[in-house]
Amino acid sequence: MTDAKTLAYINLYAVLGSLENLCVLDEDASALLTNKKPITIGIEVKDGPSATITFKNGRCRMEDGIGPCDIKLPFSSCEKFNGMIDGTVTPIPSKGFQHIGFLLKEFIPLTDLLAKYMRPDPEDLKDERFFEISTSLMFYTIAVAIAQIGNNDEVGKFSAHHMVNGEILMSISGGPKATIRVNNHRLITVKKGTDTPRALMEFESIKLARDLFDGKVNSVACVGEGKIKMGGMISMVDNMNRILDLVGLYLA
Amino acid sequence: MATKKFNHKKSQEWFKRAVDVIPSGIYGHLGPAEGLWVPTTSWPFFSERAEGSYMWDVDGNKYIDYMCAYGPNVLGYNDPDVNAAAMKQAELANCTTTPSYKMVEFAELMVDTVASADWAFFAKNGNDTTQAAIMCARYHTHKKKIIFVNGFYHGVSMWTQKLDYPGVLPEDVANNLYVDWNDIPALEKLIAENKGEIAAFIATPYMHGNFVDNVLPADGYWQKVRKLCTDNNIVLIVDDVRCGFRLDLAGSDHFYGFEADLICFCKALANGWNVSCLCGKDFLKSAMSGLSYTGSYWMSAVPFAAGIACIEKMKKLDTPAMFRKLGTQLTDGLKAAAANNGFDLVVSGEPALFYLRIANDDSLFLHQDWVQEMVSRGIFITSHHNHFINASLTEDDIKYTIDVAEDAFKAVRKRHPEAF
Repeated sequence: MTDAKTLAYINLYAVLGSLENLCVLDEDASALLTNKKPITIGIEVKDGPSATITFKNGRCRMEDGIGPCDIKLPFSSCEKFNGMIDGTVTPIPSKGFQHIGFLLKEFIPLTDLLAKYMRPDPEDLKDERFFEISTSLMFYTIAVAIAQIGNNDEVGKFSAHHMVNGEILMSISGGPKATIRVNNHRLITVKKGTDTPRALMEFESIKLARDLFDGKVNSVACVGEGKIKMGGMISMVDNMNRILDLVGLYLA
Repeated sequence: MATKKFNHKKSQEWFKRAVDVIPSGIYGHLGPAEGLWVPTTSWPFFSERAEGSYMWDVDGNKYIDYMCAYGPNVLGYNDPDVNAAAMKQAELANCTTTPSYKMVEFAELMVDTVASADWAFFAKNGNDTTQAAIMCARYHTHKKKIIFVNGFYHGVSMWTQKLDYPGVLPEDVANNLYVDWNDIPALEKLIAENKGEIAAFIATPYMHGNFVDNVLPADGYWQKVRKLCTDNNIVLIVDDVRCGFRLDLAGSDHFYGFEADLICFCKALANGWNVSCLCGKDFLKSAMSGLSYTGSYWMSAVPFAAGIACIEKMKKLDTPAMFRKLGTQLTDGLKAAAANNGFDLVVSGEPALFYLRIANDDSLFLHQDWVQEMVSRGIFITSHHNHFINASLTEDDIKYTIDVAEDAFKAVRKRHPEAF
């Protein structure tokens, strides 16, 4: 029910893409990149996604496509790239061997930190700040994964095909926001809110969002209880939620 | 008129109990998620009683109910004539080992009433009849593909669902073909591309999809569809579950000037008593006889007696003409109330099943706000679905509804000055 190409898009843009948010939310992550020479990594997956990640001044920024980069990590297939994310494939740079120290001393600790938040120990979640960061990172990852599934997965594309143009505001009350922009059935996620949503879906609290992400509560019941607010062109939210069902399959 | 807004304390208490023991509390179209209760605090979750056009919730709030249980309430809740017929039959027998002769009486009445019907087959829900129609078409033609009109709803069987619905496999919908409503060139192309493989074309009499303005058939549309189906040995199925008996007691195909091969009825058939009916042409009777298709309660006599009484009363009242008049009167009044307050209220579909949309924005935010103001003042409507007229609705009810609409429009306008 899942395919390697869609998973590669999710792994690159949604999972690695959440490094951007990690560096904002976690001081240790930011510290790893502070007072260091800026560096850029290009990731190129054959028959799959490509992106350029820039690490600069304690922050990280991902851009679509391969641009000028200090380190280039090519992958011969989506499966190989997915293997790197799983930890079963070791990437070999085609460019930038002199920067291998960054990969070992900064990039890998950064991704390890990300993994700590994305696959948390239940004990760690008892810490309120850790809980907030972990859930926020999951939120951004899921929001970006929605667009990747809607653009690449066969069933996801069917759902996207039934979505009208406009912006869906997805948010946690008092917490992170994201906008899913729909244009001619192609989806783009912007990791901030919008003032002009055509539809919206808001979770009442970060705790509820966590329980939903972990599958502990049912979203339809939450709508009834008023814990999830929906509004506007709800057919857009309805179709987005069908894609959301697939996010769990890919990120499991 | 300053109308008082309701509270729903007991409804919410019942819902809390419901979510403990029922998946999602209230599942399906009568629930807060599919029913799009935005926000849920403005809606009643559970009812206590109903009479005529009115429904009372568990908090004692009274509503004029324009959803009519999503269609079954056609004569008025608790119609005395229909209920008397049902009770009389209940004293004799209901669910028995051999069916009651009432089944024959009801089938004869259906064949006499529905213009295209040579026979009648009874079940319980609309879905039972659409499923039977597809099986019958496939068995008769020995072909597998089905043409649907985009935006369709034909029930809950696997083949009626969509590729991305939970629990549905690609194989379940692999033989589904899709075409846009009123698009004859696309239909011709689809038939040519799948020549000799299409068992049936299934559609509602007009496009009454959700979230979109409803669309009537273009001039000559159904006649062209009829000819294409006949020329290509495709069974023409009309899903009249929602519109049936509200436009024309002889069937909505009769209303639009053509004959279906199979026509599905349910909602307005027995004024809320549970029975559905598939009617068909003689050439499909043998195929229908051959299906392995039945259910525990499909031949219960009480709903048959109710159905007979319901159809006879609808004939006596000429309900389709009544619905057209009342629906037009109501929607004209709502449009005027909207215009008085700076709103552009678009009314679409047939007056008996009118669909509403505020067109001042393209997002439905204003519309949903107005709908919740209506509901919280005792006018039960929805923001995404067509509505229904029933025969007990009075001119006073309509006048009251329009008065409430004025208040509701004023409240929304006050809350959204930026929109004007």
